[in-house]
Amino acid sequence: MKTFFNTIGNLFRKPVTTKYPFEPTFKPDDYRGLIGFEESLCIWCRRCEAVCPPGAIVFSQDMEGKQTYHFNRAVCIYCGECVRACPREGALFQTAEPAPCALKAENINNGWNKLFDEAIESRERYAAEKKKKAAEKAAADKAAAEAKKTMEGDEGMNPGNN
Amino acid sequence: MGRQYEIPVGAQHISLLEPLHFKFTTENERIVRTDANVYYVHRGIEQACCSKFKFRQVSFVVGRVCGLCSISHTTAYSQVAEKLLKIEIPKRAKYLRMLVIELDRIHSHLLCLSHVAENSGFEALFMKTMQYREFSMELLEAVCGNRIQYDFSIVGGVARDLKPETGQLILQRLKNFMPQLEELVGIYQHNWTLSLKNKGTGVLTREDAMRLNVVGPFARAAGLAVDVRNETEDLLPWKEVGFEMITDTAGDVHARNMIRLREIGVSIRLIRNIIDGLPESALLTETKAFPDGEATVRLEAPRGELFYYAKGNKTQVLERLKIKAPTFSNVAGMVHAFTGNEYGSAAAIIASYDPCLSCTAR
Ligand code: SF4
Ligand code: SF4
Repeated sequence: MKTFFNTIGNLFRKPVTTKYPFEPTFKPDDYRGLIGFEESLCIWCRRCEAVCPPGAIVFSQDMEGKQTYHFNRAVCIYCGECVRACPREGALFQTAEPAPCALKAENINNGWNKLFDEAIESRERYAAEKKKKAAEKAAADKAAAEAKKTMEGDEGMNPGNN
Repeated sequence: MGRQYEIPVGAQHISLLEPLHFKFTTENERIVRTDANVYYVHRGIEQACCSKFKFRQVSFVVGRVCGLCSISHTTAYSQVAEKLLKIEIPKRAKYLRMLVIELDRIHSHLLCLSHVAENSGFEALFMKTMQYREFSMELLEAVCGNRIQYDFSIVGGVARDLKPETGQLILQRLKNFMPQLEELVGIYQHNWTLSLKNKGTGVLTREDAMRLNVVGPFARAAGLAVDVRNETEDLLPWKEVGFEMITDTAGDVHARNMIRLREIGVSIRLIRNIIDGLPESALLTETKAFPDGEATVRLEAPRGELFYYAKGNKTQVLERLKIKAPTFSNVAGMVHAFTGNEYGSAAAIIASYDPCLSCTAR
């Protein structure tokens, strides 16, 4: 009998579910949402890239050595490791903003894989260039030093011969 | 002897939540023999953890082994890594880990109960249990910032602090939940229709439980007092926050339901004690060391004992990581407990094991 009245009563009770997305659902104010980046504070140490478990952050580098930050919200697991690893307070921060859905036009998976490889490649290219320049400079320095040494040696030897 | 029929159930089946395959041999509707095949989802997580990821990143990877007991996996891994690094974590971090593990246990047990109700043909109770479960999901979201993948334990401590307001919110919500829990206990205990499907089905005796090495609520329902929380004190101080062992003797589906409901009560008490006695300290022990040597860790996940083994070689990447999930230990007992039951009860029995196959096969 109690069940019967319960059933009748249930017809008039408010539904338990909410009309999401027209009504907000429960969301704590420190929800783990999108990662924000403040370029002016970054010291380009790339520590965030190194700790990120899924590899959602990557830095590309152009030939002048300027780095660019890339972030993929579909790869990110919102763990906050990058924020904890960042040595500069405020350069990376976690917002309470949920990530928007990815659109087909963004090509968020394949496009990202390509971007990731290109970014790594661009850094390697820069590093190789830098190394080459350094090697050239070192060679030039060495040559200069040698030239100086021989000159000094000549000078040193001459008095000895005398 | 009647004619025997073989009935395959799975790997995809309406009453199965997991990719699991059972082959029942039945005779006059009674199950006389069961074969199980559990390896349908091999994801190669162990290998990935030892090759692709650095040891600090692994705690996020193993969290993806299982969606329901994500925190148990991350905590067990963090503990094993801390053993390899030879560090002790702050007391507050230990308490917060216990808090999330217990919240997780509440939601996992309620989920299992709702599926037992559903598979017993009691759809309304399934809805009701799921409705009451929602509070625990919201609390987990408030504590960890996410409903499912908590990413709460990290190597050396925990990732987030518990704000005092969140602590108050938890206590408030638990208070609201108490009458609902009593209502659920009343229904699961006394409902006549449910008892027809649940009482006396899927019985596993104490001797069999011991022989087949069963763990978790499955074993405790059979009267075997096994619970890692009762045995280890070094990593998480369970006794300090008032842990209490719960066992039953019947070993049937009904007993498993009751064990889970009573364990929810214990979890609530533990959570209250944890929040009241939360010590003040740092959250993280920092170290620059690399994992070295071998270590093992046991932890009581909602489904039973979770076992982690790790071996480090002083580099960023672990040499070996081995995960043994509770369901793996239970497979033998699961297969055994079907014998002699009607095929019609099989669905409810499967749900009452609370199997988590994606953990088992990783
Ligand atoms: S939150 Fe985690 S997954 Fe996302 S970018 Fe930071 S480290 Fe990577
Ligand atoms: S860790 Fe911080 S400072 Fe370093 S590169 Fe990343 S955002 Fe910049």
